[in-house]
Amino acid sequence: MTGALDRLLARVGQPEKRRLRGAAACAALLGVATVALLGVSGWFIAAAAGAGAAGALAAGAFNYMLPSAAIRLGAIARTGARYGERLLGHQVALMTMARVRPLLFAALARMAPARALSVTAGQAAAVLVQDVQAIEMRLAQRTAAWGAAAATMAGVSLAAVAGWAPALSTALVALALGLGGRALATRSRSTAIVLRQATGQLKDHLAFLAAAQVELRCHALEGWAADTIAEASMALDAAQRRHAAVLGFFDVLQALATGLAATVGIWLALAAGAPLAALAGLSAAMAIEGMAPWLRALAHRGGASEAAHRLDDLLEAAETTAADAAASSPALPTIALSAFGGVCLREGERVAIVGPSGCGKTTLVETLVGLRACATGVASIGGRDVAAGSVAAQRACFAWLPQDCALITGTVRDNLRLARDDVDELTMWRVLRDAALADRVRTLPQGLDTWLGADGARLSGGERRRLALARAYLSDAPWLLLDEPTVGLDPVTEAAVLDALEARLADTGQGLIVVTHRASLVARCDRTLSFAVSQAESLASLAA
Amino acid sequence: MASTTHASKDSRISFGMAYLAAAARRVPGLRASASLLIADGLFAIGFAAGLAGALSRIAAGAPASAITWLALALACAALRGAGALLAARVGARCAGVVKLGLRRRVVAAALGRSGGVRASDDLGGTLLSLAVDEVEAVDGYVARFLPARRAATVTPLVVLAVVAVASPICAFLLALTFVPFVVLMALAGMASAAQSQRQFAALARLSGLFVDRLRALPVVLAFRAEGRETRRLADASLEVAERTVQVLRAAFLSSAVLEFFSALCVALVAVYAGFNLLGLLPFHVPEKLDLGRAFFVLALAPEFYAPMRRLAAAYHDRSAAQAAAERLHAFEQSDGAASPVAVAAPSGSRRLHAPTVRFENVTVRYAGDASDVVSHLSFSLRAGQTLAILGPSGSGKTTLLRLLLGMAPLSSGRVWVDSTPLDERRGIAARAAWIGQAPLMTRGSLRSNLLLAAPDASPQALLDAIERVGLGPTIARRPGGLDANIDERGSGLSGGERRRIALARALLKPSSVWLLDEPTTHLDDASELALIATIARVRAGRTLLIATHSERLAALADVVIRLGESQ
Repeated sequence: MTGALDRLLARVGQPEKRRLRGAAACAALLGVATVALLGVSGWFIAAAAGAGAAGALAAGAFNYMLPSAAIRLGAIARTGARYGERLLGHQVALMTMARVRPLLFAALARMAPARALSVTAGQAAAVLVQDVQAIEMRLAQRTAAWGAAAATMAGVSLAAVAGWAPALSTALVALALGLGGRALATRSRSTAIVLRQATGQLKDHLAFLAAAQVELRCHALEGWAADTIAEASMALDAAQRRHAAVLGFFDVLQALATGLAATVGIWLALAAGAPLAALAGLSAAMAIEGMAPWLRALAHRGGASEAAHRLDDLLEAAETTAADAAASSPALPTIALSAFGGVCLREGERVAIVGPSGCGKTTLVETLVGLRACATGVASIGGRDVAAGSVAAQRACFAWLPQDCALITGTVRDNLRLARDDVDELTMWRVLRDAALADRVRTLPQGLDTWLGADGARLSGGERRRLALARAYLSDAPWLLLDEPTVGLDPVTEAAVLDALEARLADTGQGLIVVTHRASLVARCDRTLSFAVSQAESLASLAA
Repeated sequence: MASTTHASKDSRISFGMAYLAAAARRVPGLRASASLLIADGLFAIGFAAGLAGALSRIAAGAPASAITWLALALACAALRGAGALLAARVGARCAGVVKLGLRRRVVAAALGRSGGVRASDDLGGTLLSLAVDEVEAVDGYVARFLPARRAATVTPLVVLAVVAVASPICAFLLALTFVPFVVLMALAGMASAAQSQRQFAALARLSGLFVDRLRALPVVLAFRAEGRETRRLADASLEVAERTVQVLRAAFLSSAVLEFFSALCVALVAVYAGFNLLGLLPFHVPEKLDLGRAFFVLALAPEFYAPMRRLAAAYHDRSAAQAAAERLHAFEQSDGAASPVAVAAPSGSRRLHAPTVRFENVTVRYAGDASDVVSHLSFSLRAGQTLAILGPSGSGKTTLLRLLLGMAPLSSGRVWVDSTPLDERRGIAARAAWIGQAPLMTRGSLRSNLLLAAPDASPQALLDAIERVGLGPTIARRPGGLDANIDERGSGLSGGERRRIALARALLKPSSVWLLDEPTTHLDDASELALIATIARVRAGRTLLIATHSERLAALADVVIRLGESQ
């Protein structure tokens, strides 16, 4: 039963098929060369000792060219094969996952916003990225199985020269190692899960205490907080030690199997004489050594299967999401809200939404922009109910400035082009001027192409907000939806921004819905919707 | 300019590694871990001896006696396995000790911070990534790299010595490979570093793109830019993959060199020993090998470079730990971070004496901000009076309260508490109580939560406090009363009840100043009025500073300040 992730990997892995075959071939060659190098060397020495002891004539007749050439070839082949396997294997994995990432992003964009946002906000995004990396590592180690198989076959074949018994024993030991490895892998997966849970609990505990920092300071509870963290820390430590102990057992298995293969191989080939016994023993030992990379890959596989499950779920959810209804903009973008007693906002109106923090103003804004699911009857745009209509059409009605600005990593230009891809420089400077940011951008070293870092780190808080405002201005949606546009601005800049905003609204005829607490901005609006606690409760009860 | 930044980066790196090395040095058991790895080498020697002995018995025509040698070999192999398991356990234990210590330091530094960090700044996020993820990165360095490094300096010498006993020429051959090995490793290392440098800037910018666009999904969806951003991500991901492959091409060279020399040893020894046994060497050598010794040396040849291979496998742990140590060190040295100063409880009656509070031209501006949060604010509050700070969100109300606790920077102006200047590190934390929007709840009983700040309070004082804040009905309602269990989220308690718990804590702690941060937010009208009445009742004899937007609460105050518009 292949899951969505496996199907995706098979599809995007097609262009890499040749490289994958190359990597597998290198792995197989590595296995064979490892066995051949030591096996033939052992035989060579033992045979040479026999010939040397038998006298100068026997020594002279000894064919040393072939074995010594084989030994030298084995050494070179082993080195080259190892380099080739690692490079090609990693290349396949990297290129495959490079294609998976954008497809995963597209899947997240397609699925229901509530689900998508729960896995991409804050810490959850880091988990998703780690999951993708775990799958990448698993792919890179795919060829280890080929190497193990080739080494085992080479070992069994060489041991067979000494008799069927050593060959059989080698095969049995290899099989036992394989089974033992799998059993241990199951155990290591469960300790890895416990480890993850303990890590999560410690993180929750830390987050919770960090949020209460002021109270801790006030009541001199920092020592107490440190002690509770130390407790959670020790629980994590215990989980880690248990996991490390299980991983240590893989080494025990490997060492025991090597010893067993070598000693039993020699013992079973006792009757065949020293050279063949040497061949059998060393070939068997190297066959087990050749299985080591596969065993290591098994040991660290635990995280990857969980990651695969999560990604599977996500991809399947995206596949089953119904395609968006045909997107056509509503004729008249009027908005009707059932909250506030069924208010109706006509196009071009300026509306201020006020109220204490946390009452649901931002929730309303996010619902309008289609980031939250909504029950029928709560809101309708252009006569069409929000819950029933097309999300794309709904989003086309609004140019949004989020409360946390939400800039993307990149340059000024990258951020502005998020709103409109084909915008020309003149327009960009015009919206920057309207947002009172043009002078600041001119002072940046590369102007519009200055790298701003993560979340616009190079700019101050107020400058980030103005950049997000300029971005909203670039969209030609019928409604400007601004969430706290002037927080962090000094009075002079704020006045400039608001004047430019008014001029712009007069010019474009856009409507304005603004969440704010600034009296000066509220004064410039036609009407005010006031949120109170009861509003939030009624809105919450109506939301899906 | 570039050279100075490069130099400071180097010194930062060396500080980071010194920091890490200091933390690791004090751990007992690291020596044991290294010794176990060295013992592994000794068992390998035993294993080789066992096999060689068995083969020479077979060659001598006495196969039955080979069994004892084989048993020796098997025993050594088993001991190798046991040794590896023990080494893993001991390594993990040492790493655990180091990590616990580092985590404690980071948490202490974070919790003890004084001013300069804005309230909304994500201390939580930084703390999480530092205290959990970065500290985790140190694990491999202590558990695997350090013991491997020590073993790599000892084991090859031991192997060489033992080989020399069996065949001095072979030992000489092995030692001879060492010089070209070092040279080639250095060259490979330099090539790898150069390639890394070349790709570093581009990789640093592009690698973070995926997680960034994931976090920015809301705004990408809102602007209907999914298609564009998916294409951008596709291009960037492919570029990252291609550049990484370039780096790997060079990086894998070092492991290829290691692999080559490991195989070369075996080949050299095999060819030399074979020819020596055949008596066909083209030059005269002072030794004549027999099967036992030759085979012994052959079986030992891979063990000469094995410790280096183990070290190379752990090298990645070292670089990861180095990067983490840099960041941990930088955090501990950053402004404001400090180990918590032990708070000396103010003596006797001073605690219960409500102070006067005076602000003179106070300006607060966080580092890196363009504008002041609070500018040129002055007021004077007499002992026992109540101050209400009104203003919309973001106008600095909470900042003023945090200033009094040393958690916001005093950029200019003066603050006087009872005619002594405010202590900028701790403020008045010792004699203050904080009642905020989300009071701290801990896992335990209601009683332990109430006594959190004053564990020595008498039962009578506790009942008194409960009575005065009106928690009586709540406690009567819960099964178990005071001993009822609460979890960290305080489930089962309403917002109003939790704030009353905070009020009770304030009553139990000997405090003369109360700082209230929006205590009536999110409460419905009835609860708000009830809470306001309670505050009015219990505040006697204390100086209160209340940050709020509720006019009804402000009606309690003797002095009212409005922030925001009027500044």
